[in-house]
Amino acid sequence: MSASNLFFSGFSQNKIKLYLAKPKYIRRLSTAIAVLLALPLPWGILTGFYIWFSPFVMLNSVFLLKSMVLFNVFGWVVLLISFFRNRWFCRYLCPVGLGCDTFSRWGRSKVSNVKKIPPLGKWLTLISLGAALTGIPLFIYLDPIAIFNGFFAAFSTSPSFTVFVSLSGLPLLFLSHLIFPGMWCGKLCPLGGLFDELTTLRKWIVKTFVKRKVIRTGSNFTRRTFLALGSGLVSGLFVPRLLPSKTARIFRPPASINEELFNILCVRCGNCIKACPTNILRHNLQTTNAVSWMTPELTFQDNGYCLEDCTRCGDVCPTGSISPFTVEAKKQLYIGSIEIGLEKCLLTDNKECDRCKTVCSYRAIEIVPSDTSLITKPVADLKKCVGCGACAAVCPSETIQMVFPG
Amino acid sequence: MKRRDFVTRIVVAGSALSMGIGCGRKIEGEQQGKTTTAAHATNPQRSITEPAREIPVIAETDVLVIGGGPAGVAAAIAASRAGAETYLVERYNHLGGLWTGGLVLPLLSTHAIDKQKRRKKVIHGLGGEMADRLFKLGMAINEVNPTIDPEAGKYVLDEMITESGVKMLYHAWGVNVIMDGNNIRGVIIESKSGRQAVLAKVVVDCTGDGDIFHWAGESYNTMNYHIGLVHRLGNIDRIDKTKPGYKEMPIGLPTPIPGVNWVNMHGLDNQNGIDMPTLSGLQVQYRKEIWDSVRKLKQTPGYEEVFLLDTASQLGVRMSRILEGEYRLTLEDTMTYRNFDDVIGISGAWTSMLYKGKRILSHERPLWQIPYRSLLPQKTENLLVAGRCFCFEETLVEDTRIIGTCLITGHGAGVGAAIAANDHVAVRDINRQKLRKILEDQKVWFG
Repeated sequence: MSASNLFFSGFSQNKIKLYLAKPKYIRRLSTAIAVLLALPLPWGILTGFYIWFSPFVMLNSVFLLKSMVLFNVFGWVVLLISFFRNRWFCRYLCPVGLGCDTFSRWGRSKVSNVKKIPPLGKWLTLISLGAALTGIPLFIYLDPIAIFNGFFAAFSTSPSFTVFVSLSGLPLLFLSHLIFPGMWCGKLCPLGGLFDELTTLRKWIVKTFVKRKVIRTGSNFTRRTFLALGSGLVSGLFVPRLLPSKTARIFRPPASINEELFNILCVRCGNCIKACPTNILRHNLQTTNAVSWMTPELTFQDNGYCLEDCTRCGDVCPTGSISPFTVEAKKQLYIGSIEIGLEKCLLTDNKECDRCKTVCSYRAIEIVPSDTSLITKPVADLKKCVGCGACAAVCPSETIQMVFPG
Repeated sequence: MKRRDFVTRIVVAGSALSMGIGCGRKIEGEQQGKTTTAAHATNPQRSITEPAREIPVIAETDVLVIGGGPAGVAAAIAASRAGAETYLVERYNHLGGLWTGGLVLPLLSTHAIDKQKRRKKVIHGLGGEMADRLFKLGMAINEVNPTIDPEAGKYVLDEMITESGVKMLYHAWGVNVIMDGNNIRGVIIESKSGRQAVLAKVVVDCTGDGDIFHWAGESYNTMNYHIGLVHRLGNIDRIDKTKPGYKEMPIGLPTPIPGVNWVNMHGLDNQNGIDMPTLSGLQVQYRKEIWDSVRKLKQTPGYEEVFLLDTASQLGVRMSRILEGEYRLTLEDTMTYRNFDDVIGISGAWTSMLYKGKRILSHERPLWQIPYRSLLPQKTENLLVAGRCFCFEETLVEDTRIIGTCLITGHGAGVGAAIAANDHVAVRDINRQKLRKILEDQKVWFG
C-alpha cells in the first residue's frame, strides 16, 4: 500500500478533490496559514508573509519610493490574476474576508442598512495611489492584510494594554460586522476596490480594443475617477507639509527611510517587530508624537543589541519603510551613536575589563592609554560606530550611553 | 469608460512600472578589501647555523612538565600523586608564574551559576587545596575569588611540590623538543649549566605561551593582547584622609597583608607577547610609568607615606599562542552547560558576555566544563597542553586565561599524563573513565 493511500484511508479521493476545489475550504486553509505566519514565531523572512500578496500595499510603496524589492513579485502576480478574475484574492486567500463573512452570518442583521453605504473602497484606492505618486500613501494603513498582521504584532514583545488597544483594528472590524454585514469587503476595503477598478479597466479594454465598440459608461463615473486621482495627487503634494515637521527623535532600524516618510509609509503591520531576533524592536508609544504612533522603535534599555549579522527587519518590511540591506551594508547604516562617560568605567579604577572593545563587530572601540599606560580608557571612532548597542549592553558599569547620531 | 479615463489609468500604471522595475531597492554596501596581515615583528635579516653537538641527558622520567605556573604546578602535583615519576622545569626562581611572580593575586573565578541558578564554588581539587593552605596561613582574603599573598603562594607551592615528590629544576628554560617522528621524547632545556636534555614518556606544555607545541610543529593562532605590569603599594594604612587637599586616587585593591595594595595595569593593547624587543621595551616603559605615578601619588596631600613596594618580577603577558587542538571549546559550550564525556573539570566566569543578542552579567554566567580533548594537540603524540594556551575560541579568552582555569586544565593534564605513562598508552588513548575517577579521587568537582 502506498503512502498516499495510507494517508487518504478513510476518505475517498474524490471527496478530497471536492474539498480542495471549493473556494471556502481553500480560504480556510489560507487563513490558517496566514494566522500562523502572522504570529510572533521564528518564521525568519516568512514573518507576516501574507502582506506581500496585497497589491494595494505593493502599489502604494512602489508609487511612493519609485523602486521595488524581490518579494513585490507576489503582489504583481496577485494583481495580474485579479485583472482577469475579479475578487479572486478575496474569495480564495483573504483571511480578513473569511472573518468578516463569518461575523456577518453570526450577526443576522439585515443587509439593507449596508446597502445605503456607497462603495468607498475604489475611491480610497484611487486617492491613495494618486497621493502616493506625489508624496503620501494616504490610506495605505487601511489595507486589510496590514490590519490583520498588525493585530498579531500586539502579542510579540512586552505586552502592554496601550499596544493592544492600538492594534485592535481587526477585532473591531469583525465585531462591526455583527451590525453591518458585508460592510468591509463590499464597501470599504481599498484592496477590494483596487480589484474592482482592475475589472472595470479590463472590461473597457475588451470592449474598446477587442470588440471595437465604444460603450458609454456614464460621464459621472469618469469625472469622479479623475477627481479622485487628481485630489490624490494634490493631497500628496500638500498633506505631508501639514504634518508636524519637527518630530521627536526615535532610534530606527538600520536602513530606515527618513523620519517624515517613515511615519506615513509604515503600515504598522509589525513584521519587523516580530522578526527581530533580539526583541529590541518595539512599538513606539511616545504620546508627544502622534504621527509615529505604533511605528517600530529600537530600544536599548533591556540590554539587547542589533545583531551584526541580521538583516531581518529589512527583509520583511512590505512597504520599504525599512529597505532590504546586506550584512556588508550594515557597517555603514547608522542606527545611533555612543557616548562614553569615563567616570564609571572600570578601567579608570585599574580594574580588568575590555568588554566594549571585544564585542564591537565594527572595530569602533579601542582601548588606549589615558595619560600613561598605567590607566587606559576606551575610545570610540564614531565613523565606524553604527550604534548597534552591543558595547552599551555588555558594559558591566553602564559607562556607555546610546545617543542619536550627530 | 472614456479614452481620457483610460489614459489616466495607463499613465498611473505605466509610470509605476517604469519607475519601479528599473531600480531595485536593496542596499548592498561596499565590498571591503581584505585586510593585509602585518609582517612578523622579528624578521632577522641574517642567520647562522649552529653546529651539531652532544647534549647530556640529565633525567629520564614518566611525566615532564615545562613551566611552573598555576597550570604547571597543578599538573606536576597531580601526575605525581597519580603515581607517575614527575619532573618540573621552571624558568624563574619561584612557582606560581603570573599568580605569584606576576602579582595577579586574585584566584579567578572560583564561583559560577549551576543549572538550578545556584551560585556554586567550582574550583576544588588542587586549586582548592592551595587556597585552603593559604587561608590557614592567614595569607588569603575573600571567600569568592580569594586574593593571596604572593610570597606565601610561592612558599605553599614549593611545599606542595616537595611533599608530592616532584623533582624540580628552577632557572632553566625549555628551549626545544626531542622528537621521534610524531612522538615527543623529551625536551631540551637551557640554563647556566648549558644545554641539557630531559627524556620523558609524556610532556605537558605549561609554558603559557605554548613554546613546546610551537617547537613540536603544531598549528596555533597568535593573539596579540594587553600586556601590563602589576605593582604593589605599601603604607596604604597610613593615608591621611583628613588632610586638606586630600582626594581619592586609584590605589588598587587590598592584599592579605595590611597596608599593602596591589595595583593592576591594563597596559597597551595589541602587543606581541612572544617578541622579546616588545617585552623589553614595555618592561622599561612600564617601570618608568609606575615610578612616575607613585611619585605623583606621594605628592598628593594625604598620600605622602605611600611607597612603591615592588613591581612584578614577570611582565603580565595575558595571551600569546592558542593551540589548534582536537576540540575548540566555544562560547556556546560555556553558555549552555554543555556536557563532555571527557570532562576534566569545571571552571567559573568573571566577565559579562553577549550571547545570542543578550547580555549575561558576570554573576549570571553559567559554570562550564572543559573537555580533555581541548588539551590534545592534533599531530604530536604524548604531548598535553594546559594553561592559557589550550584550545578555545578567542571570545572565551577572559575566562580561559585566568588562574582558576589554568589550575583546572593543569590538574586534568597532569592526571591524563600520569595515566598514559602508567598504562603505557598514548595520551590520546587513555581510559576516560579512569581519568574521571582519579580526578574525582583528587577532589576535582564535577557538579
